[in-house]
Amino acid sequence: MSTSRLSSLLAVSGIFACWLGPLAPAHALPSFARQTGDDCTSCHVGGYGPQLTPHGIAFKLGGYTETNGSGSLPFSGMIMGTWTHTAKNQPSGAGPHDGPNNNASLQEVSLFLAGGLTQHLGAFVQGTYSDIDTRKFAMDNMDVRYANNVTLAGKDAVIGVTFNNNPTITDPFGTLPGWRFPYASSELVPGPVASPMIDGGMEQQIGGVSAYGLWDNHVYVELGGYRTLPRSLLRNANVISSGESADFTIHSVAPYGRLAYYQDGHKQAWHVGLVGFAPEVQSASGAGTDKYTDFGIDGGYQFLGTREHIITVNGAYIHETRTLDPSEADNHKGHLNRFDLSSSYYYHQTWGLTAGLFDIAGNRDATLYGADSQNGSPNSRGYVLQADWTPFGKEGSLGAPWANVRLGLQYTDYTKFNGASRNYDGTGRDAKDNNSLFAFVWTAF
Amino acid sequence: MKIHTSLLLTTLVLASPSLWAADASHGEALFKQECSDCHNATIPGKNRKGPALFGVVNRPNGSLADYNYSDGMRQQHFDWDISHLDAYLAAPKKAIPGGKMKYDGLEDGVARADIIAYLSQNH
Repeated sequence: MSTSRLSSLLAVSGIFACWLGPLAPAHALPSFARQTGDDCTSCHVGGYGPQLTPHGIAFKLGGYTETNGSGSLPFSGMIMGTWTHTAKNQPSGAGPHDGPNNNASLQEVSLFLAGGLTQHLGAFVQGTYSDIDTRKFAMDNMDVRYANNVTLAGKDAVIGVTFNNNPTITDPFGTLPGWRFPYASSELVPGPVASPMIDGGMEQQIGGVSAYGLWDNHVYVELGGYRTLPRSLLRNANVISSGESADFTIHSVAPYGRLAYYQDGHKQAWHVGLVGFAPEVQSASGAGTDKYTDFGIDGGYQFLGTREHIITVNGAYIHETRTLDPSEADNHKGHLNRFDLSSSYYYHQTWGLTAGLFDIAGNRDATLYGADSQNGSPNSRGYVLQADWTPFGKEGSLGAPWANVRLGLQYTDYTKFNGASRNYDGTGRDAKDNNSLFAFVWTAF
Repeated sequence: MKIHTSLLLTTLVLASPSLWAADASHGEALFKQECSDCHNATIPGKNRKGPALFGVVNRPNGSLADYNYSDGMRQQHFDWDISHLDAYLAAPKKAIPGGKMKYDGLEDGVARADIIAYLSQNH
């Protein structure tokens, strides 16, 4: 299969292999701590982002603007150094510049504009350099929002508008794709051939405006729409290379909607929610359109107590239906489901253990998946275990509020990969061959 | 120093019947649960999103020079004695209209007394 043909299939199917594009990285930014005077632990479970506590949820929905008035500059940086081992070598190299196994990498060097710009306007804008793929500084996640506190129907509410470039990156609850566990992942391991479009399929290549509100500290609503960003902007921002086009061109506007019920009891907090995203994109042939409808249900629970012992449980199920141009898939209509469940325990906001499960299942389609799956199935299943240590981030910590660091060790195990446990790609590679050990040193300043 | 602290605490407790039975240890746990995201009560002058609460008991309201208080707080003039603290913890927005503390209040009077007992220890 030619490179151009493979690219076309990637474009129409929402396929994304982890080594081909940036993952949505996670963030805990000292510029927020400097602005508010709060510890990292106030807003983040485990003293490091991105899993938000109710206090962090309030800060985000408030437009990143809350401050203690002391004055600070809204700039931060982040560096993540990683080491990745897979159970079996990747003969063609784990990445464009990496060997077949046991690779050390400067996976992420990011600069942020992050914090309040005016009383009601705030930003979370990230640019990232990675030594793994293009080795260029490129636009990453962006969320610029205006927020205000009002009274609606006799109850307090925060309402706002956000301009962003990744559906679900605006969400405050930590269960949807933009911010779910694992918060850091290796970019030097094979990834499942498919995932629903809302799961990062269009990140950074589209821009959208959403209006949102949290009413009575219980009901969260967000409604918005996305369009593909101009090609010139994407090229200038190094999201795509010169000569490339965006993977997807959205017809009209792709609607995004979110509804959640949230309860913050200080000692514990929980939410349940629904999410939807429905892009209609130009097919790779240019002759027709491909329609994706993603609908998800999610929920999360946090036991916070005195913050000495914190337990969280997060889960989401996303169902995607799609109608593809007949020239691009065996099945005109298809579906793809994804289920994620994770639970974490943090002691003294310092030592953490997290376990996560994931399951991806969809209809078989040899044209869509045949290059990576011998039986044309996108089904993948496995689990992720992580232990991490965040020694700083507390009041009086070394470097506070100027720096924080997390050291982590993560193990990923596949019981099924691209449709099979054994010989999934026809070359003799088994699902377990992609099991990986990932170590990271992740610092923010 | 310890003698002075004990004397002050004793004076506070005797002067406030509501604190007689208060459990400062339980109050510390409640403080961590309800207040510590925004307030520090153990380090003098350590403002977070909310002002430092070390030594807050009987301190004039809005009196930390390096904290940016709301207009609502600046417009009132009182000392944070037991009764003011209790009323504020019960219903912050009612006690200080125009204040910026985003806390709905603590209905349980015993819990409030426990938190105040804990704050009374920190000065």
